[in-house]
Amino acid sequence: MKADETTDRRSFLRRIGRWLGGIAMAGSAGYLCFDSRSRGTVWQIDPYTCVACGNCATHCVLQESAVKCVHAYAVCGYCRICFGFFGPEPAGITEAAENQLCPTGAINRKYVEDPYYQYSIDEALCNGCGKCVEGCNTFGNGSLFLQVRHDRCLNCNECAIAAVCPSGAFKRIPAGRPYLFKEP
Amino acid sequence: MKPFVSHFKIAAVAAVVAAAAIAGIVAVVRLDTTGGGPKRLGDAFVYDIDKLAAIDPQLITYRMLRTFETGLAESRAIAAGPGGAVYAAGDRQVRIFDKTGRRTDLIEIDGTPTCLAISGGRLYVGVRDRVEVYSGTQRTEAWPKAAADSLFSSIAAAGGDVFVADAGNRVVLRYNRQGSLVGRIGERDPERNVPGLVVPSPYLDVAVGPDGLLRAANPGRLCIEAYTSDGYLEFSWGKPSSSIEGFCGCCNPVNFAMFAGGRYVTFEKGLQRVKIYNADGSFGTVAAGPQQLGYDGARPCRTVTECGSGGFDVAVDDEQNVLVLDTVRNVVRIFCEKTK
Repeated sequence: MKADETTDRRSFLRRIGRWLGGIAMAGSAGYLCFDSRSRGTVWQIDPYTCVACGNCATHCVLQESAVKCVHAYAVCGYCRICFGFFGPEPAGITEAAENQLCPTGAINRKYVEDPYYQYSIDEALCNGCGKCVEGCNTFGNGSLFLQVRHDRCLNCNECAIAAVCPSGAFKRIPAGRPYLFKEP
Repeated sequence: MKPFVSHFKIAAVAAVVAAAAIAGIVAVVRLDTTGGGPKRLGDAFVYDIDKLAAIDPQLITYRMLRTFETGLAESRAIAAGPGGAVYAAGDRQVRIFDKTGRRTDLIEIDGTPTCLAISGGRLYVGVRDRVEVYSGTQRTEAWPKAAADSLFSSIAAAGGDVFVADAGNRVVLRYNRQGSLVGRIGERDPERNVPGLVVPSPYLDVAVGPDGLLRAANPGRLCIEAYTSDGYLEFSWGKPSSSIEGFCGCCNPVNFAMFAGGRYVTFEKGLQRVKIYNADGSFGTVAAGPQQLGYDGARPCRTVTECGSGGFDVAVDDEQNVLVLDTVRNVVRIFCEKTK
């Protein structure tokens, strides 16, 4: 072996040090990139602890609440008589206004095939009162639930709804994943 | 003069502290921790089913005989055994109680039992997608698994047949006693005038009547259907209604059982009602409403997590008492007729 190809302990340690330094720098850069995306948080409602108390409709600082009802289609039973859509004592099983549970008529009912119907939310009409959520939780699968819509939410530091939420369902979650959806 | 100012300051500070303390106490007392407080929205936005939950006392012909805890964290199913024995399934166990509610035995199950039936000295336990057979507390058979998305929700055995309700696939599977699949019942078949089972939530119950016909709840159509063992639909009964005579909600009855004489006991989730129907399907009486089941308000649950476990199972023992398994509080309630 030639003398200039030998590696003494000092140069070996120097080489190891360079490698470790490079790995540390790359790791730090990656961590900072990832952390800068996830450090921001937004308000959201945990659908599994929400009791649909109605405070979302009345306590948001916006004139029209940032909270809206959303529908997890994978959880829905597509029932003919949906108690998130119909009132507790409907006069008939039709879409007539007097049969509907939603005071603002924000739920649409569409026939799919016997005996299945699809329900969708008209967000422009929904005020986030949660009345349909109560009906769906009580009688159905709970596929209707409330979520903070981030195209509307101002992401206040002190959310006025969170301050009065009786079940502690309002929580801060990473902005990178701003919704809490239900799974079947 | 100086002492007066000093006293005045002390009195002012004391008044402020007292006012703050009173305000704090009032705030704590008035804090709405359940969401049940008055809403700032109008009455149109209030979801109120209390009126529907109120049941005419004249209609309630049963009284609670006994109640005892199952000791299970998640109770799932109940069955009545010989001599007044009560079988309660849940967690990874089947617990056996005598007629007084004293636990007499326990069977460990390799999985979560979802339903059970006792017939011919054998205990049939549904474990999600398979059936296990026990003699005493010893497992004697384990039948092959059904489809991957199967969810066995009820078992009924009579004669040479074992009927297993598969809520996941909206069908009743007919097995022979050896565990071989010999038929499928309840699937949509226009040629045989079978409308098809509609199962929006994981509840599909079956029983065999004294006439030998299979009864299957069709919760999405809010009725109970009677089939021959070959799958021919003989008749059905039941109507959707919030009144006491009908089945309320989107999918009910979630569970039912039959008396020896052909009458039915049904359980509805949502508006929790245990009702008795005559053999022809006409409304009879009420065994228990929310109040008799130990729930003050109309609803035993608020969140979807709580409500999801609210499908109480029912059974009828050999003295024709009604057994109700409260899957929320994990207790068994036994109701007998008031005339007894």
